[in-house]
Amino acid sequence: MTSSEHIPQAARQMTDDSYLLEVKNLRKHFPITAGILARLKGYTRAADDVSFYIRQGETLGLVGESGCGKTTVGRCVVRAYKPTAGEILYRRADGSVVDLAQIRGREVRTYRKDIRFIFQDPYAALNPRMTVFDLISEVLAVNHIGTRAERVDQVESLLKRVGMRPEYMRRYPHAFSGGERQRISIARALITNPRLVVCDEAVSALDVSVRVQILNLLEELQADFDLTYLFISHDLSVIRHICDRVNVMYVGKLVETAEATELYTQPKHPYAEALMSAVPVHDPVLRDSQHRIRLEGEIADPSNPPSGCYFHPRCRYAQPRCSTEEPALHDLGNGHFAACHFAEELNLQGVRMG
Amino acid sequence: MADTLIDVKDLRIHFFTDEGVVRAVGGVDLAITRGKTLALVGESGCGKSVACRALLNIVHRPGKIVSGEIIFHRMFHQSSGSGSDASVDIAELNPKGREIRDIRGKEIAMIFQEPMTSFSSMYTIGNQIMENILLHTNLSKQEARILTIELLDKVGIPKPSRLIDEYPFRLSGGMRQRAMIAMALSCSPTLLIADEPTTALDVTTQANILDLMQNLQKQYEMTLLFITHDLGVVAEIADEVAVMYLGKIIEKSDVFTLFNSPAHPYTQALLKSVPKIAMTREALDPIKGMVPNPYSRPSGCPFHPRCPKAFAACKTIVPKTTSLGLHHTVQCLLYEDVTERQATEALS
Ligand SMILES: Nc1ncnc2c1ncn2[C@@H]1O[C@H](COP(=O)(O)OP(=O)(O)OP(=O)(O)O)[C@@H](O)[C@H]1O
Ligand SMILES: Nc1ncnc2c1ncn2[C@@H]1O[C@H](COP(=O)(O)OP(=O)(O)OP(=O)(O)O)[C@@H](O)[C@H]1O
Ligand code: SF4
Ligand SMILES: [Mg+2]
Ligand SMILES: [Mg+2]
Repeated sequence: MTSSEHIPQAARQMTDDSYLLEVKNLRKHFPITAGILARLKGYTRAADDVSFYIRQGETLGLVGESGCGKTTVGRCVVRAYKPTAGEILYRRADGSVVDLAQIRGREVRTYRKDIRFIFQDPYAALNPRMTVFDLISEVLAVNHIGTRAERVDQVESLLKRVGMRPEYMRRYPHAFSGGERQRISIARALITNPRLVVCDEAVSALDVSVRVQILNLLEELQADFDLTYLFISHDLSVIRHICDRVNVMYVGKLVETAEATELYTQPKHPYAEALMSAVPVHDPVLRDSQHRIRLEGEIADPSNPPSGCYFHPRCRYAQPRCSTEEPALHDLGNGHFAACHFAEELNLQGVRMG
Repeated sequence: MADTLIDVKDLRIHFFTDEGVVRAVGGVDLAITRGKTLALVGESGCGKSVACRALLNIVHRPGKIVSGEIIFHRMFHQSSGSGSDASVDIAELNPKGREIRDIRGKEIAMIFQEPMTSFSSMYTIGNQIMENILLHTNLSKQEARILTIELLDKVGIPKPSRLIDEYPFRLSGGMRQRAMIAMALSCSPTLLIADEPTTALDVTTQANILDLMQNLQKQYEMTLLFITHDLGVVAEIADEVAVMYLGKIIEKSDVFTLFNSPAHPYTQALLKSVPKIAMTREALDPIKGMVPNPYSRPSGCPFHPRCPKAFAACKTIVPKTTSLGLHHTVQCLLYEDVTERQATEALS
């Protein structure tokens, strides 16, 4: 446990006044149990000592291999999960700072309006017994915001902005396509005029043209209301388009953070390089060219990670010390950090500009 | 045709809702070639999932197949001579009957768009995958478990011998998606329908999954119907591409022709609106206009209200399928003799 627990909420400070959110040494460990007696066998370290910040009005990307802990980090930020340890400092509208990791119960609910979450799996997130209108306006009704007529207006106009027909309002979620359900989730998150939105694969089920429409909407809202986003996505072209800075995670740890263009052109961590090389090129003629770095070797198990650098069993630059010594985050200047022993020396390839 | 595995003819699926009839699939003709990969692309809500689920005769209420055929050319390998052609019309089968249940999961497997729709949260993923294996093969429980662990390993699940006993909600989104891929592959299907199977996967995991599917395809001559929004994935794996718009296949061709010389104005706009990775943060340009009201589809060409090349006839005449080359078809009046159409339509 960190000593932060003993700091009174009012005295908390962030490293910089421009930050809306600062996460320090965040850990979320899930117990692994076995057998009917639920014997404890160990922990999945889904988020392991993760630290980062987001400036007010900024979009921070979060990328990484499937299962590396992105959703877990996002859920901790919105306090859908209680972190195992660490601080999640959040600057309230009045300027005061609160540690979201410490609050509980009813207090968590007071932030539900300002901090919103767009779920990765809309099917699981939308209550099948509620109509689209009820799903989107629920949070307003619960907080007694506006009259019913006003809420109908609001839902209507938001549905239009996400490219859906207001006529749909009385339908139930099962009657929609995957991308339509995803847009219902987006409308549900945006209805409260939030200050911070965690978007977990929020546009992954959308075709390019609807996706562009949603990305443009998110940017408009950001320009108008100084909205801040934590944007989790596998689509590196989307991340490139919408993010100012990007965090790269690998097996529960942050391995690289940089300004977006710099990460794409000059990645400093070998995992980030492999990620950039695997971006599909939109041209069937190039499909068989040997451009991708195939990640061979066993996928790391977050309950029993490799020694030293977690990436070493799959890294093509690994040296003997990588299997024994855990690399620290190297400061490469300009807000660029990478957790690789050779971050300064390696000359890694950026994304292919197709 | 000998090498056609599935022949869909004039398939129409309507949803009879209180507010009106939604014509989700409005006359689809589609031939799926044996052993090839066909990618199906199109705007959100255009009917891709509804059409593909129909290939397994799964139509949710209040939907109905109102017309059309889905001819499945099954091949039984026999010791004597060539396999006999035992075709069935899937659209005609009883959706709860024996015959379709034998086909589902075994000959035709489907990876559903949202993993939680096909996994129950009550059982472990291992139990659910093993159940499918036990239902369709003669393997013992023990053998089924070993096969399941192998499959989970193949789709890149770490520590498969432990995660086989995990419940779906304890897995990440991408792990659930891969578990579902493992389940779909468990009986080496003849046709694998994959509805957005890699949306929850990062690019490196996605690359491995696409490799796996392509290897299985070569090994077992599996046919792949791949629904995706990611044109990068289409460019990587498809042999043929079908483009859907408002319930119709408006263009189909081999993948190279489609990327090089798309014929339909919608396809052209689709290829242009892809965010390029190299591009800077300027506003992206979506296809203009809103998806039309599902209860009243536009007259004439369904794309005409949003089409930059539309002309007067597009409002009234429904385009027919025109052949532009060996394997290239399009539904657009730019490629038809409009005066002739007007003349014939005036007569009838
Ligand atoms: N509720 C839970 N209980 C137990 N383990 C969990 C739970 N949620 C996540 N995990 C585990 O934590 C790890 C990280 O999962 P998480 O969902 O954060 O990954 P992710 O980076 O979002 O992956 P994806 O890109 O596939 O969505 C995984 O090993 C997962 O199995
Ligand atoms: N049960 C239902 N009742 C009424 N309409 C429905 C029902 N199910 C689907 N629809 C409608 O049918 C249309 C086609 O849906 P479908 O799921 O096939 O779209 P899709 O092409 O797969 O889109 P996406 O890419 O978003 O998944 C949509 O407009 C949807 O709203
Ligand atoms: S038929 Fe007309 S409206 Fe339709 S796509 Fe062709 S040009 Fe455009
Ligand atoms: Mg996730
Ligand atoms: Mg769909």
